[in-house]
Amino acid sequence: MSDRLDDLERRIDELRAGVRKAMRHRDPATARTLRAELRSAERAWDALVSGEQPEVKAEPPRLVTVREQVHQGLRLLGAAAQPRLIVAVSDAFFGGTIRSAQLTSLRRDEERSFRSSPHGRPYYLCAALTDRLSAARGLLTLSTWPLERRVVGPLSPRVDFLTCAIAVAEHGEEHGAGDGRAARLLVRMARNIPGATDGTFGPPVPGQVAAAARAELRVHAERDTRDRAELAERATAQLGDTARLFGAATLMTIKKENAK
Amino acid sequence: MPSERLEAGRPAPRGEAMSTQHRLDALRGTTPPRPHDARAIAALAANPGCSRRALMDGAGVDKDAAARHLGFPAPFGQSPFAITRGNVFEALVKADGCAELLRMLREALGLPVAEVAYHDVENVGAHLRHAHTRALIDRAATGGQDAGTLYDHPLLTLEIAGHTAYLEPDVVAFQLGGRFHIVEIKSFAVIDGQADPAAVAAAARQAAVYVLALRTLLEELGHDPLQVSHDVVLVCPENFANRPVATLVDVRRQLAVLRRQLTRMTSLDRLLAALPEDVTFDLRPDEDGRPTRPVAELADALRGATARYAPDCLSTCDLCFFCRDEARQEGACDLLGRQVRDELGGVASVAEALGLADGTRDPAVGQEEIARLLRNAERLRRECLT
Repeated sequence: MSDRLDDLERRIDELRAGVRKAMRHRDPATARTLRAELRSAERAWDALVSGEQPEVKAEPPRLVTVREQVHQGLRLLGAAAQPRLIVAVSDAFFGGTIRSAQLTSLRRDEERSFRSSPHGRPYYLCAALTDRLSAARGLLTLSTWPLERRVVGPLSPRVDFLTCAIAVAEHGEEHGAGDGRAARLLVRMARNIPGATDGTFGPPVPGQVAAAARAELRVHAERDTRDRAELAERATAQLGDTARLFGAATLMTIKKENAK
Repeated sequence: MPSERLEAGRPAPRGEAMSTQHRLDALRGTTPPRPHDARAIAALAANPGCSRRALMDGAGVDKDAAARHLGFPAPFGQSPFAITRGNVFEALVKADGCAELLRMLREALGLPVAEVAYHDVENVGAHLRHAHTRALIDRAATGGQDAGTLYDHPLLTLEIAGHTAYLEPDVVAFQLGGRFHIVEIKSFAVIDGQADPAAVAAAARQAAVYVLALRTLLEELGHDPLQVSHDVVLVCPENFANRPVATLVDVRRQLAVLRRQLTRMTSLDRLLAALPEDVTFDLRPDEDGRPTRPVAELADALRGATARYAPDCLSTCDLCFFCRDEARQEGACDLLGRQVRDELGGVASVAEALGLADGTRDPAVGQEEIARLLRNAERLRRECLT
């Protein structure tokens, strides 16, 4: 080990001299590369002296695909959700490794796969449908859900949020709080539901969050169910298989509406 | 409140308007007019006394290109980090069906729990956004049962000196006591109830532009324009966390300034009359768009229109460095800020003020009062120093 240390010290001295020379010759590019080498040599020297092996941060093995992780998250939530929320849920409950950026092209890939071999997979990650029957921006749903759950009326964003909050609270209650991530997710959601927290700084009680969300849900449920049923009916009547899953092109829908 | 009504839209007599438009086109020269956005319109209201700016904006001159050609480029444009931060914060506020925004509106303004309907105007595609905004706002103002509460990504228009400017407020909220509120999401922090006054003022001016545009829209649709509240909801991160907090900001003053400025822009003929007939701010770009006009000639043309420089211009106007240089050469009091300039009313330059103070210069008619004050100040200063 001391041989190695000697080598390193010699190398460090050489590099220092090199940096000084490069600076004298006003050659910043060389100086920069030499400095970087010097720093890594010094780090290696530090590690050797203190007897530490440089730590390699282990990437958790990715056993489940991004697609499967999103599916898992959506199944738990049970309502159309934004990638950000899906990532948070996957992270909190399934030790997920996905990031929001990985979800951007997901829907397009799914659509391509569906077009090339329709119904070839047991489920597809697909779009939520707006009142124009086009794909809603930034929302993911599952093809296995009934159409009513996949359309978005005016009240649906709120209803979906409350549904997701109930799901998160109940899952947390059943499986224990686990680590801090699940609790933090619940805190973030509970903050935006009236009556879910009792005004203290302590963690919210999952049962109370679910009850508060259900109370607000009752206010919106009737109108939302009606809106969704109407939208779903229109979607079934007007859209083909692909469009029903991934949304109709906006202009096309408008032309159809005008032609009527 | 009849004074709240919009007066900018009053049509000018036809022949006069034509000649004004003609002269403005001549001022701009060969380049197409530059579209206005909310930031630019808000900046207009920041310095209503500046005829140079009023003329250039009225004609739609590209001030940035002019400043660069003159050799006084303004270090403008938001940093990409600020833009990213702004977008991330906006996404946070609007996440999950505007969950955070609803909480704030419920807590701060008492929005009923049942009011959660959310319409994303962008769903219809970019080219129909304005028409769809009109339809939705009309439905809400008529008081239909299914009027929404939050309208995301609306697109409003405002007529600026004959050109249509397209404006995108962050969110329009309805049903807070049956009135429309503009919601402005900004990413500067409110710390212990205090925010940077300059940032708040800029946000208020920008929101005032949206209020004016929405009021104009309601008026066009035949509704009461006062259905749009003059209180805008300003959403900012609270303290050092990213948690949003909402505050109501009264923009009546900004609205009044803006309206006055827009009226002035429609009555630009008065400003044009003071200019020589053949003056133009044209850069004479060649085929590649590079300006070919001699710099001195352009500078002379610009000096023909009086500017009203104030240090605040540095954060709102592309021409700021040019005007500052001009003010420095003249030794104008404007350099010292608005407050000093107002107190030195009637004294144009720093040299004149110093002359009055040490008595080497006799006050002109009307300057006696300020001369007395200046001499007193000079005496006090001497006493302190000796």
